[in-house]
Amino acid sequence: MMAKQEKEKTMANTVIGSSIVIDGEISGEESLTVLGTVKGKISVGQGLIVESGATVEANIESQSLSISGRVTGNVVARERVEVRADGKMVGDIKAPRIVIADGASFKGNVDMDV
Amino acid sequence: MADKEPCLIGSQITIKGQISGNQDLVIEGRVEGRVTLQNKLTVEETGVLEADIEVVEATLKGEVRGDVIASRAAVLHPSARVVGNIRAARVVIEDGANFQGTIEMEVELPAGLKADGR
Repeated sequence: MMAKQEKEKTMANTVIGSSIVIDGEISGEESLTVLGTVKGKISVGQGLIVESGATVEANIESQSLSISGRVTGNVVARERVEVRADGKMVGDIKAPRIVIADGASFKGNVDMDV
Repeated sequence: MADKEPCLIGSQITIKGQISGNQDLVIEGRVEGRVTLQNKLTVEETGVLEADIEVVEATLKGEVRGDVIASRAAVLHPSARVVGNIRAARVVIEDGANFQGTIEMEVELPAGLKADGR
């Protein structure tokens, strides 16, 4: 119930819907919410939210990143990365603040020394 | 009915590559590459597409450079600026729209379906 409220609150400007597949490069200066599948590269100036059920196979550059879905790739965030309880991530994370919640699965290198 | 959550590419976003899927998509930003949907595509006034488009229904209000294939209809609103070829069952160009290219309307009615006049 909590998650649902949060989901509505964090609905960003750009939403990649659950039955959309993007193969390529996403870049821009606004926040992005992914419910579907993205393969390639993501570079956004604001927050990126990978929702539960989403699959991202991409190198990611963003201000902050919240993972509830599945992410494969290397992540560089200027502020914060959070792998939530239902998130699964394989890859390296580089960010000044990193949170890995209880229940999350993560494999990779963590670098907070930015 | 299953997937009706909005899918929106915001005005500050650029996508290079291929977008595919089966839900409605609204583009306010920039897309270079290819868009393939089993649904409706809307390109808003701020949207810029340098892409070939294959959709069921295309509503174009922004800038499109590329070929458009719509199995049902392609509608160019007055603010649309389109360069490319359009192939669709129904094509509408509204007064004010800017279009350069060829149009091919295919009138393919399945057997048993009545042609609804003209």
